[in-house]
Amino acid sequence: MGTDWNRVAVNAESRRSIYGMLTLVFREEPSEALINELRGPRLSGAFSEIDLELGDSFYNDPVSTVADQLALEFSHLFIGPGPHISPHESIFTEVDGGSGELWGTKTVEVKKFIETTGLGYASRFTGLPDHISVELEFMEKLTEWEAEKWMEMDRISAEYCLSIQRMFLQQHLLTWIPKFCNAVITQAATPFYREMAELTINFLELEQQSL
Amino acid sequence: MKKLNRRDFMKLTAGSGCAFAAGLGYSQSAFAGSLKLQAGGKDFSPTTGKERQAIPTACWQCVTRDSMIGYVEDGRLVKLEGHPDSIRTLGKLCAKGQAGINQVYFPDRILHPMKRAGKRGEHKWKRISWDEALDLIVSKLKPLRDAGTPELFMYQYGRHKASQGATMYDFMQAYGTGTIGNHTSVCEAAKWVGQESLWGGMYDNWDYDNTDYVVIFGSNQFETHTNHIPTSQRLIRAKVDRGVPLYVFDVRLTNTAAKADQWIPIKVGHDGLVMLAMCNVIMNEKLYRKDHFKFMRVSEDYKASVDEKIAAVKKNVANYTPEFAEKHSGVPADTIRKIARGFAKAKSACLVTYRGTVMHYHGADQERAAMLLSAITNNLDRPGGRVMGVGAGWKHPSSPKAKVHKSLDVKDGFPGEAAYPTHHVSHQVLPMIKDGNAGRPKVYWWSCYNPGFINGDNNELQSILKDESIMPFLITSTIVYDESSQYADLILPDVTYLERWDWEDMVSANQIAEFYIRQPLVKPLGESRCQGDVWPELAKRMGFELAYSSKEDFVRQSCEMTPGVREAGGFEYMKKHGVWHDPKAKPNYGFYETKVDVSGDGVILDEKTGVYWNWKKAGVNSEAEAKSQGYLGTKGAKKAYVAQNIDGTAYLAYPPNTKFVKAGYLDFYSDNFADKGFPAFPAYTPIPEHQKMADDELNLTTYKVAVHTHSRTAHCKWLTEIKHDNPGWINTKTAEARGIKNGDKIKVYNDMGEITTTAYVTEGIIPGVIAISHHLGRKHSGVYGSGQNSPIPGGAAADPDVKNIWWKKHGTHPNTIIPNSSDPISGTQRWMDTVVRVAKV
Repeated sequence: MGTDWNRVAVNAESRRSIYGMLTLVFREEPSEALINELRGPRLSGAFSEIDLELGDSFYNDPVSTVADQLALEFSHLFIGPGPHISPHESIFTEVDGGSGELWGTKTVEVKKFIETTGLGYASRFTGLPDHISVELEFMEKLTEWEAEKWMEMDRISAEYCLSIQRMFLQQHLLTWIPKFCNAVITQAATPFYREMAELTINFLELEQQSL
Repeated sequence: MKKLNRRDFMKLTAGSGCAFAAGLGYSQSAFAGSLKLQAGGKDFSPTTGKERQAIPTACWQCVTRDSMIGYVEDGRLVKLEGHPDSIRTLGKLCAKGQAGINQVYFPDRILHPMKRAGKRGEHKWKRISWDEALDLIVSKLKPLRDAGTPELFMYQYGRHKASQGATMYDFMQAYGTGTIGNHTSVCEAAKWVGQESLWGGMYDNWDYDNTDYVVIFGSNQFETHTNHIPTSQRLIRAKVDRGVPLYVFDVRLTNTAAKADQWIPIKVGHDGLVMLAMCNVIMNEKLYRKDHFKFMRVSEDYKASVDEKIAAVKKNVANYTPEFAEKHSGVPADTIRKIARGFAKAKSACLVTYRGTVMHYHGADQERAAMLLSAITNNLDRPGGRVMGVGAGWKHPSSPKAKVHKSLDVKDGFPGEAAYPTHHVSHQVLPMIKDGNAGRPKVYWWSCYNPGFINGDNNELQSILKDESIMPFLITSTIVYDESSQYADLILPDVTYLERWDWEDMVSANQIAEFYIRQPLVKPLGESRCQGDVWPELAKRMGFELAYSSKEDFVRQSCEMTPGVREAGGFEYMKKHGVWHDPKAKPNYGFYETKVDVSGDGVILDEKTGVYWNWKKAGVNSEAEAKSQGYLGTKGAKKAYVAQNIDGTAYLAYPPNTKFVKAGYLDFYSDNFADKGFPAFPAYTPIPEHQKMADDELNLTTYKVAVHTHSRTAHCKWLTEIKHDNPGWINTKTAEARGIKNGDKIKVYNDMGEITTTAYVTEGIIPGVIAISHHLGRKHSGVYGSGQNSPIPGGAAADPDVKNIWWKKHGTHPNTIIPNSSDPISGTQRWMDTVVRVAKV
């Protein structure tokens, strides 16, 4: 039986969307436009079907209020000042028995891996190379490219891309993001980041099983 | 949240996909650029994690100079591979190219300037600084220049091409010496001279992408042919994808012959005769195509009609019947007929020749026969045929020339030795210096060249280098201590090609010019220094300036000056991409059909030849004087050539552009040849030495192998591990007659001396011949090539592979018993005409 090129492309495209959404969640504070979209009919129904509960206030409070709350939560959780959950792989990964540090060995590894593929870091991007949103965005780029290759019926390139995704997933995402997300689940004050962290763990587990 | 499955996520993304489509993505991507998964971006080693850089550059292991990518890991070169964006190589690189790494890191590499401390050949050296070395050179060169005798500085090179040659010539012109020798006469000069006498230029290409039929004479295309990687893969594709027939005429069953539809064994030196016999068949059976005849001159008459030309060609080849050719060449007449018919009837057909055809007495005339066969079948510069090579035309900076510019007449052979040495007679340079009648240089500097190994009678040439009364001061730029540098007074540590800048221009196999560069992959090891960086420094010390400050600067300026490259992004673009070609360019064919406007000021028609020429550019005083002298009678006329009048139309045709003064026709009838006593029309001329051979004598031929360049690769361990011995190929019957069995030790000898090797007894060579490859038998070239360490301690890190050398043999060098003997037409070294005896030891 021949390959259903469209089906495999749609699957890759679906994964791209999830990675894109999670990138957005962890990259920056949600905008009002995004909040409106998330609580609009197209997504709220889907969230409901998977028991993703963002809480009544997320849906009912004025959008500006929700945006302010989430911005505060974002800073509290991921930026500081004060104790926070640094969303960087090098912080969550011990190397040679040493404690994690910013711009550590893992940061360099992630940077090298990404640069291997031809991508570079945008000069305007001021984050660190191993920020969770960078790793998720990288997977988004890979899955997008994979989807294109399936649509071009270029099996060799698509499967090669999958092997790169598998490597990056195993060598990086899975080694620390579940740990990171569990910390978020424990410390989040709002359902939004708790649920998103849980969704992330869920998704990465599924990725681990299916890739 | 419940445990999610793929289906849940698919539902979710049906929504979130819309969200992103609505432009709600993150405000700033972390990334720049695009994914290039297979092409690769930055690379890192999966095993060591070390960062790798992928740097586009160009090979130099042979003249093909393939574009390639070098991978550098933490500053060390670890891998070379073909450049995927090159339209020439299509991403491929041969074994020699991949082993280029060995050039950088071999244990005997010379890494410091060395001054001779003992007698020449005593191998006693003192390390000196570059400052001292340059001061020493200036102390020799400046007085010559100041005294108005710059010609007493002679420079001779082996492989110098593109910007490596351009920077050298620029310096020499600024200095004032024209005493510059090359190496082409030991390569293929006869081929170029034969071509230049016809279509003006030289360097044919073979349009395998479009051909329907291929015949090869005297070339091992799939292993060692010039422009090997670009052309071989195209011929393989033609054969495999399109079923293109391939016939190979060769003395040996090469790997090319083995892959052909038919190997046609042929006696040494008879390629031209068989080609003329093919012409005979084609003319007699009216299989010729008329198209090209109007561009041909085949008799004294410049104004002959096409029908008259056809009759003349027929008459000129009448004696070369297939039966006549069979008698002399050993090729069956029926085979000649079959291949001639196939060649002529094919929609397009490609005729290939190389060293086996032309490195002979009258080798240049054999090439003319190849051109004739191509022309009468309209396969010259037509798609699928033998075409004029297309290379990159770089612009580059030029320095002010010296006021005094002179040459010693030691480059073109002894008086009367060669009639048209347009590519010089390089193998006779040292014998001429010894002779002394044309003067002797006081300083002789050679580079990327090993005259005491690669020429005929090489032991004699070494003795000339050794003699201080003949050669007062010797400088060499080299990376390896070899048979010649052992006699130098000053050794300069050259960089390898993987440590230097260049722009490159080798001919494209697809008739579209490719511009490409070479850039350093690693920092030069030790104190090695690029000659292109040495020239400006020397000039400064002698009181004149060059137009560039370093080789990199030369390449940078060239990139910014060259149309096309400049617009693409110039030097920065080339550094990043390595290659550039005009994406709108179409393959270049049929230049001779270009119609030319002849209404320009000073353009007149020469009645005798039909040449339009511009008398104002020819150095004559008036139109009347120009007309009185005529085109052929005016010394500077060929520079003033404009067009050829053919049936009332002015065509570009085939302009003269070398020393040959000719009209715009393909000069198959050549006054140039006739005036010097050579056949005016391509002819069969037996090789004198072969005519006089005794029954027990054999022809000695030499050949190249796939994994070595002439004398530049024996120190490359990967290559020498593959090929470190060169037994003599000898036919079963020939061996049997001498009581020789496979593997026996044999001696090969003549009046010049004797060499020993082992016998490779095979049916894969014609009787009456012994064939020995010419790369091995090194006395010096480092531990891998010669089995002994260089007398100069190498500065490179110790190589653990030295303990893994498992081979004891290092081969034999046939040049010891091959005389320096020139084709009287072209001055080419007659490698294939040597006569020897062979006996079991």
